[in-house]
Amino acid sequence: MIEAIARRMSTEREALNRLDAALGDGDHGTNVAAGFSAAAADIGGLENPSASDLWLAMAKAVMNRMGGASGAIFGTFFLKGVAVLRGKDRLNKRDMEAVLEAGLQGVKARGKAEVGDKTMVDALAPAVTAFSRAGGFTEGWSSAAEAARKGAACTQDLIARHGRAKYLGERAIGHIDPGACTIAFLFEATDAWWREAQPIHKR
Amino acid sequence: MTARKHKLINEPDRIVNEMLDGFCAAYSDIVRREGDRLVARAQPKAPGKVGLVMGGGSGHEPAMLGWVGQGLLDVNIVGEVFTAPGPERILDGIRAADRGAGVLLCVSHHEGDRLNAEIALEFGEAEGIENVDMVILYDDISSAPKGRESERRGTAGLFFVWKMLGAFCEGDVTLAAAKALAEKVRDNTRSLAMSLSSCASPVTGEVMFEMAPGEMEIGMGLHGEIGQGRRKALSADETIDLMLPPILDDLPYQAGDEVLVLLNNSGGMTLMELFILYRRAAARLRQAGIGVYKSWIGPYATTLETAGFALSLCRVDGQLKTLWDAPANGAYMKQL
Repeated sequence: MIEAIARRMSTEREALNRLDAALGDGDHGTNVAAGFSAAAADIGGLENPSASDLWLAMAKAVMNRMGGASGAIFGTFFLKGVAVLRGKDRLNKRDMEAVLEAGLQGVKARGKAEVGDKTMVDALAPAVTAFSRAGGFTEGWSSAAEAARKGAACTQDLIARHGRAKYLGERAIGHIDPGACTIAFLFEATDAWWREAQPIHKR
Repeated sequence: MTARKHKLINEPDRIVNEMLDGFCAAYSDIVRREGDRLVARAQPKAPGKVGLVMGGGSGHEPAMLGWVGQGLLDVNIVGEVFTAPGPERILDGIRAADRGAGVLLCVSHHEGDRLNAEIALEFGEAEGIENVDMVILYDDISSAPKGRESERRGTAGLFFVWKMLGAFCEGDVTLAAAKALAEKVRDNTRSLAMSLSSCASPVTGEVMFEMAPGEMEIGMGLHGEIGQGRRKALSADETIDLMLPPILDDLPYQAGDEVLVLLNNSGGMTLMELFILYRRAAARLRQAGIGVYKSWIGPYATTLETAGFALSLCRVDGQLKTLWDAPANGAYMKQL
């Protein structure tokens, strides 16, 4: 799964940099791609990792290699799932709902952001809700991806309340938040990976 | 004046490491490299003294690399361009600065720096690292109004904290006293910046924002954050006359006060321009009855090649003047 996400982030590097150029310093894509490739490499080096090992390795790689506010907040998303996953080797959908919900609450607390602040929460919150409402994993990932995509698109009309973009005031209107867009890519990549991997039924 | 898209670098993903290779090779008598992203004093200070560590994105050189040394910082943790380093590196920095009397983590107030510092301290606590505290530093009056100082961001005025806090921590002081001193310097410091050009990211090669020739913007942040809007560029004297009064009113600095003055080059100004600007600032301060104790003019906290400057004042008393005059030996801050 993480390889699929890392590949997608590398593909989207320039697109995310362009979005960030309008609101920040134009390197969000480069940092996101570096963070997720580091995570993929770190996870590849683990022997028989448990689900919580995987999530912890994700959190650390993203925080330490992405850096900046994005690294801290994306890393927190994974870090908060670690405790939920501890001791579990097979995950059912209810477990994954709890992991996503813990991640969302962690992100909101860390960044002191709510829906409507023009941050990744605008994509993450609807994605987590959509996943939880769906009947199973397949429907869950696809409706989460759809909700994240819509949430990210809506950030275009908002004024930023966090990060460097907040100094832009109304000049931020008309630009999509790159962090929200990264969340949409994350769920889209997971959805695509799941549909491909489903017959084999991986973790 | 335009941003310079073409930079003399090698691979974009190696710029920070290669920059540190060069810096540490050039100043090997003052600093040494620890791991890939830590710059520490060549000779650590004596055991039993409070350690000072500060992290930050790169692109602001010589800040803070040039302030690692005797009488200054113990360790600087260097992030990607304009990107705060992550928590693991910050913890490495804290460990490297620890001389057994506690470590003060200085944080320039930006969301990335603050969040990563908070996470680092949480991880550190879980690992049993004790006697670490952090202080949030800010000085830019354009980033939040008076009365909401703690929301302001850190810019060039942190220069004063590095010097005086560094001198303070050469003495036998406690971690709590070090933090209080950092806050005292911070609370007497105010800055305002302006800019005539943008800069281009060495990573992506793209211009950070567009700025038309003949325009200026007052209140720009250290990463080109938008200030108070564009206007037609003014003359040197007019620019100082516009920027100094809001700084003086903010603290406020009053007749009879003594101040340190920093005219910080954001990267692309000529010294000639800065001296002309300083001439007016000094005259205006004299008129206001404010004494200038010492002044510094030069590129100390840059924003790549941005053509612009920041004017920073720090009100000093007897204690701060003594700390200012104490010896310091960093690559970019010398005091005999």
